[in-house]
Amino acid sequence: MSTTEAAPERLQESHLRRELRTRWIPRIAGYVGFLAVWTWASGRLVEAFLLPSPLAILKEMWEIIESGLFSVHFFATLQKIAIGYSIAFVLGTAVGIIMARRWWDGFFREWVVSILTTPGLIFALLAALIFGFSPVGPIVAIVVTSFPFVTVNVAEGVKALPKDLFDMARAFRIGEVRRLRHVVIPFLAPYLFTALRYGFSVAWKIATLTELFGSSTGIGFMMRREFQLFNITAMLAWIFFFFAFALLLEKVLLQRGIKRFFRWRQESVVT
Amino acid sequence: MAWEDIVTSTALPAPPTFLARVRTFVATPRFARILSLVLFFAAWQFVVPLLPTRLIPLPAKVLGFMWDEVLGNTLGRTTVWEAFGISLARLGIGFGLAFVIGVPIGLLMGVSRAVENFFHDFVVVGLAMPSLVWALLTGVWFGLGTGLIAGAPIITVVLAALPFVIINTFEGVRDVPRELSDMATAYNVARTKVMRHVTIPSLMPFFFASLRYGLANGWKGLVLAEVFAATSGAGWNIKYWYDAHRAQGVIGYALFFILFALFVERIVFQRFSKRVFKWRPEIETVAEPGAGLAQLEAEQLVTIGADGGIAI
Repeated sequence: MSTTEAAPERLQESHLRRELRTRWIPRIAGYVGFLAVWTWASGRLVEAFLLPSPLAILKEMWEIIESGLFSVHFFATLQKIAIGYSIAFVLGTAVGIIMARRWWDGFFREWVVSILTTPGLIFALLAALIFGFSPVGPIVAIVVTSFPFVTVNVAEGVKALPKDLFDMARAFRIGEVRRLRHVVIPFLAPYLFTALRYGFSVAWKIATLTELFGSSTGIGFMMRREFQLFNITAMLAWIFFFFAFALLLEKVLLQRGIKRFFRWRQESVVT
Repeated sequence: MAWEDIVTSTALPAPPTFLARVRTFVATPRFARILSLVLFFAAWQFVVPLLPTRLIPLPAKVLGFMWDEVLGNTLGRTTVWEAFGISLARLGIGFGLAFVIGVPIGLLMGVSRAVENFFHDFVVVGLAMPSLVWALLTGVWFGLGTGLIAGAPIITVVLAALPFVIINTFEGVRDVPRELSDMATAYNVARTKVMRHVTIPSLMPFFFASLRYGLANGWKGLVLAEVFAATSGAGWNIKYWYDAHRAQGVIGYALFFILFALFVERIVFQRFSKRVFKWRPEIETVAEPGAGLAQLEAEQLVTIGADGGIAI
């Protein structure tokens, strides 16, 4: 009697244990091992100034935040991204919609492919060369490099628009506006959000890259400065800021926004 | 419809049959492609002089620079051929190393859940890591590399390509059709034969993807590392012209990079993938609508992988 009652419990426990063994222990071991090797290597295997320990970097990050430098450069970068990426998104969506036609596909395709495959460095250098140290350079570079990502996704979506729904809407004499509202936009929304995410992940990288060459503010500029001063601790601190910044925007803001937008769906298409 | 005015202006004096022919040609995407190139150069030639800046050279100057470079008569330290040769050699070495390191890790991750969880988060972070970070870090760690085997650029390639190799190998192992390997066991097929006829063909698209995206990301990282921590290579050359304030050099090199990318994308990869996937009834990797779409499609794969839940 008691054995049959205990069986599911034991089963559950063993499931938990297996979960622990195959998922959490290796994962934590990965983090701990990584941090341990890093801390150990700093100062012993490699000079501490070449490979500062994680703690030293955290301390440096805290000091940068306290000194107010962080917010200045953080908002400088954010502003460029906001302006540049808004333009790129609008432009990319417009081009994407007309690129669903074959003629316009021929017109734009070569450029889109070229930009997608060219290292961002080139646009960063060109922008810096042409616009100098004005904030226009980074913005132009962001627009140029991130709009093809938006375009390609939007074009894909427009091409896949459900013809049968259109036909039905026409058969039932549904107006242009309502058709747009109930067929086109809901259908395109996942494509637009995918476009938003990709374009964005390009935008923040190119933003920091242009700041390396042609700017006197921003996270990228600070990374470059510390690189030139050979201050590896501070450089790593800025790199971590850069990363935290991207994670925050990409994971927390964008992803959450997308989830909220698609709440009405059974399963999310975007993720 | 912007092309209609062009039709009327160019084809007015011609007989109607000719006009009809022109009209059909104008409607083709090929015409659009040519037109976009012509418009681009026309805008460059005629609009740029009207701009308030004198820093943008005219096409003739840039093309002249490129022609000199191609002929091998340059003011820089290396010609474009040598520079791209050096960079490609570094890319090859770096990617080879990444492949050698990444494939075993990917295989292990595909086989064992524990190993998967051990590496998973690092791979995800690595996928999202901008190669700029690697270029700067290797720059300070390994210093200015002289000669072909420069530390920083090659290690940047390794680090930039590695996560792509690992993730694609991992996905490939998971994608090996179970029924087929079960059937092979049931029919007592030799292990090497299973390897040859089941495992490797089903891993092939994933190796191909890792080659493509690993190389693409490695190339971008390499160019950056050459800017910060090398004294030769294509990236160094573009920086050289930038420092010399020769806009025609920078733009000329930008065009070289674009031509190179188009060449690799259109000719090398398409041909290669056709050969690799000859056995398949349909070619998935080269999507019909265009190479750019195919690239993005696969990049979607990668970015989705980078978002945590690895699901193609």
